[in-house]
Amino acid sequence: MLTALLTATFVAAPAAGRPAAARPAGRTAPTLPAQVPGATADTANGCLACHAAQRRAATEGIHAEHGVTCVSCHGGDPAAVTLPRGHSGHFVGTPDKAATAELCGSCHSDPDRMREYGLPTGQLAQFRSSKHGQLLFGQHNNDVPTCTDCHGTHIIYPPYDARSRVYPTNIPGTCASCHSDPKLMAKYHIRTDQFAQFRNSAHGVALFQDQNFAAPTCVGCHGAHSELPPTVTEIASVCGRCHVLVEQEFAKGPHGAAARAGKLPGCLACHSNHGTERVPADSISATCDRCHGSDSQVHQFAVDIQHRVVQATADIQSAERAIDQMAAAGERVGYYRFRYKSGLTYFREIAQKQHRLNLDTLDDLARRVRSVSIDLDSRAKGTQESRWEHKLLLLPVWFLSLSAVVLALLALRGLRKRDRDSDSSET
Amino acid sequence: MSRDPKAAREWFVRLWADLKASTDASLLVILRFVGLLYGPLDTRLPIGKAFRKALRHRLSPEAGWRQAFGGIAYLLFIILVVTGVLLSFYYRPSTQEAYQSIQHIVSGVSFGWLMRDLHVWAANLVVLGALLHMARVFFGAAYKPPRETNWIVGVLLLFSVFAFGATGYLLPWDQWSYWTVTEGLDILARTPLVGGWLVRILRADPIVSGATLSRFFAIHVIVLPWLVLGLLALHFALVRKHGVAPRVSANRTGRTGVPFFPYHFLRMVITGTLVVAVALTAALLFPRPVAAPANPAQPPGMLFSTWILADVSRALIYYLGGWGFGAFLLLGAGMVLLPIFDRSPERRLRRRPIVAALGVLFFLTFATAWGAGWRLRSIPTTTSGELTPFQKQPTGATPGAPLPSIAPASRPATSGSDTTNSGGAP
Repeated sequence: MLTALLTATFVAAPAAGRPAAARPAGRTAPTLPAQVPGATADTANGCLACHAAQRRAATEGIHAEHGVTCVSCHGGDPAAVTLPRGHSGHFVGTPDKAATAELCGSCHSDPDRMREYGLPTGQLAQFRSSKHGQLLFGQHNNDVPTCTDCHGTHIIYPPYDARSRVYPTNIPGTCASCHSDPKLMAKYHIRTDQFAQFRNSAHGVALFQDQNFAAPTCVGCHGAHSELPPTVTEIASVCGRCHVLVEQEFAKGPHGAAARAGKLPGCLACHSNHGTERVPADSISATCDRCHGSDSQVHQFAVDIQHRVVQATADIQSAERAIDQMAAAGERVGYYRFRYKSGLTYFREIAQKQHRLNLDTLDDLARRVRSVSIDLDSRAKGTQESRWEHKLLLLPVWFLSLSAVVLALLALRGLRKRDRDSDSSET
Repeated sequence: MSRDPKAAREWFVRLWADLKASTDASLLVILRFVGLLYGPLDTRLPIGKAFRKALRHRLSPEAGWRQAFGGIAYLLFIILVVTGVLLSFYYRPSTQEAYQSIQHIVSGVSFGWLMRDLHVWAANLVVLGALLHMARVFFGAAYKPPRETNWIVGVLLLFSVFAFGATGYLLPWDQWSYWTVTEGLDILARTPLVGGWLVRILRADPIVSGATLSRFFAIHVIVLPWLVLGLLALHFALVRKHGVAPRVSANRTGRTGVPFFPYHFLRMVITGTLVVAVALTAALLFPRPVAAPANPAQPPGMLFSTWILADVSRALIYYLGGWGFGAFLLLGAGMVLLPIFDRSPERRLRRRPIVAALGVLFFLTFATAWGAGWRLRSIPTTTSGELTPFQKQPTGATPGAPLPSIAPASRPATSGSDTTNSGGAP
C-alpha cells in the first residue's frame, strides 16, 4: 500500500524535480515562516526553507545529480508556503527502518527505473533473505541496519565515491561500526574482533596498504545485501570464487572430501577466517600437527611436504639473488630472468598444488624449481669467478710499478752520488 | 728496395748513423726513431734542440716531492681523458641505449670493465689530488702575490672537476644516476636568483629525460674538456712564468737548482707509476656495480650517491645537520676567496694562525666527512622488482640441495588420485 503510494508520488515528481536541480537558488521567495539564508524557495526544493540543515542534499550525492529531491521520498508539497500544506498529500515524514527499506526498494527494485543507470534490482529481495533482513522484517528488531545506515540518508554517494561508507576501503569500518560494539553484539553472542583480525590479514593488508580492490572486504565473502556467514560446507567454494586453482586442487585431495562431508571447516582450518593468514613455509608441519598431532602417521608426510616447500623457497630466492649478482656485474640478464620466471611459475604452482596433498606432484615441482636455481646459481658463479680473475691483474700491475719505482729510486740515488762526488772534487 | 741494393744499403747506413747520433741524448732515442721522419725537418726547425733545452731547463731548488700533488691531479686527468675516450667509443647517449651500452662495456668489451672502473676511480681520486694540491698551496702560502691569479684559475679548475663529476654521474642512466641527478637538480633549483633558470637550462625538460642526458653528455665530453684544457694551459703557463713558490722556512738563494731531466723526471716516474698502480688497484678491488636501469616512475628504496663530494655532504648533513653543512660551505667559500684579501708578504704558517686554523679545519673536516660518508653508503643493486612469495628466508635449507626420496611411510596413504574419488565416502 505504502509502496504504491510512494511510487505514485515518485512518478509524479520528476516533472517538477528534474529541472529544479539545475536551477539557481534564491528565486522569488514567497512569505515564509522563517527565512533561512541559502535556502531555496522554489517549487521543487521549497522544503529547504524550513529544513535548512538538509540543504546540502539538494546539490550533493548521486540522488541530487539525477534529480531525486525531497518530495521523491518524503512526499508533501515543496511549493507550499505554509506548514500544513507543505506536509499534506502523500507525506511520509521520517519512515522507520523497515519502511525505509521498502521506500528505497520502491525505486531500486523496479527494473524499468534502474535500467537507465544499469543498476541491479535485487537488493531488497536479497536484504529480506539476509540475517539483517530476517530480524528487521520478521522480528521488527531495530538493532539491524537498513539501507540508509550503510549508504547514507540524505546525501547518498555511489560506492565508487571515496566519501561513500560502502567504498571498498570504508566497508570494513562501516560493518565494524556495529560489529565492533561489544554491548550490541553481546545480545546476539557475536564476536567483535573481526575487524581487528581482518586489518592484519592477507586480505586486509592488500586492501588497506596496497589499495588492491580485488581483495575482498566483508561483503566479498558474506554478501553485500544478502549478508550471512557461509556455512561450513560452503567455505571452500566461497574462497574458491577468487582462489580458483587452489580450490580445484583442494577439492581433489583428501581434505576436500572431508570438507564436503562437513568434517573440516574448509580453508579456515589452516588459514583462519577473518585473520586470513599465509602458512609460512617452515611451519607447515606444525599447522598439520594442530589437528593431526605430532605422533600421528600424517606427521612424517607433513614434514616431507614442508621440506619440499622450504627447499623450493630457498631455491627460488637463491635464483633471484643470482640474477641480481649477475646484473650488478653488468651481465645482460634478460634470458636469465626469463628462466627465473619459469622457476617462479613452478614455485607458485607448488603453493597451489600442495593443497591436493600429493607428494609426488610436489616433489616434481620442487625439482623443477631446483634445476632452475642450480642453473642460475652456476651461471652467477661463473660471472663471479671471471670477476675474481680480474683481480689477478694486481700481480703484474704491482710487480711492474714497484720495479719501475725501485729502478727510478736507484737512478736518482746514483745521480745524487755523482753530483756529490763532482762537488767534492771541485772543492 | 731489393732491386736497388745500393740504395737500400745507403738507407741502412743513414739509419745507423741516426741511431748512433741519438744515443747521446738517452731519452731522445725513441724520438730519433721517429726522427727518421722529422730528421730533414730538424735542420730547419730545431725541434730536437728545443726539446733538449726544455729537458735541461733548471728548476728552482725548491722544487721537490711537495710539488707532486698537482702533477698527480694532472696525471689522473690524463687517465680520465684516455679512459673517457675509450668509453665513448662504446657509450651511446640516449635513454634507449645508454644502459645497454654500459652493460656491453662492462661485460662485452675486452677490458671495458677496467676502463669503466678506472674512469670511476680516477674521477674520485682526482678530487683528492686536487684538494691535496690545494692544501699544499694554501699552507705553503703559494697563493700570495704574484701567484694569486693562479689560485683563482686553480679554484676554477676544481669547480670544473666537480662539474665533470656531476654531469658524468647521469650518463650510466641507471636508477642510481637518474635519481641522484633528479635530487641534485632539485636542490640546485633552490639556489636563490639563479637556481631556477640554471636548472631549466641543464634539465631541458620538466623531469630528467633524454634531453637532459644529451645536455649532460655534451657538457661532459665537449664543453668541460675544452674548458679544462684552456684553464690548465693558463695554469701551467703561469707556473712557468712565476716559477715554483720559494720555500717558506729557508732562503737558499745560493743554489742553482737541478735540470728537469733526469732529476725531476725520475720523481715524476715514481709518483706517476704509484698513482696509476693505486688507481688500478682501486678499480680492480672495488668495481662499480651496475644498478637497475633508470625508471622515472619508481624511485629506488635507498638513494645514495657514491661520488666523493656526495659522501662528504651526506656525512656533514647526517652528523652536523643542515647548518653544519652550510657552515662548511661558507668555510670553503672563505678559503677560495682568501687570496683576494690575504696579500701580506708574511708566509710563515706560525705567523698566520687564523689562516692555518681555517685550513686545518677545512681539510680535516673534509677528510673526516669523506671517511664517515663512505661508511654511510649503501648500494641499491636489486634489479628484479619481483617479490618472492615468501618474504622470509626459511631456515634449515641450502639452496640447490638435493631432495631426499619420499619417505615410504607417507606415500601409500596420500597419493592424491586415490583419494579423489573416495571423498564422498563417509
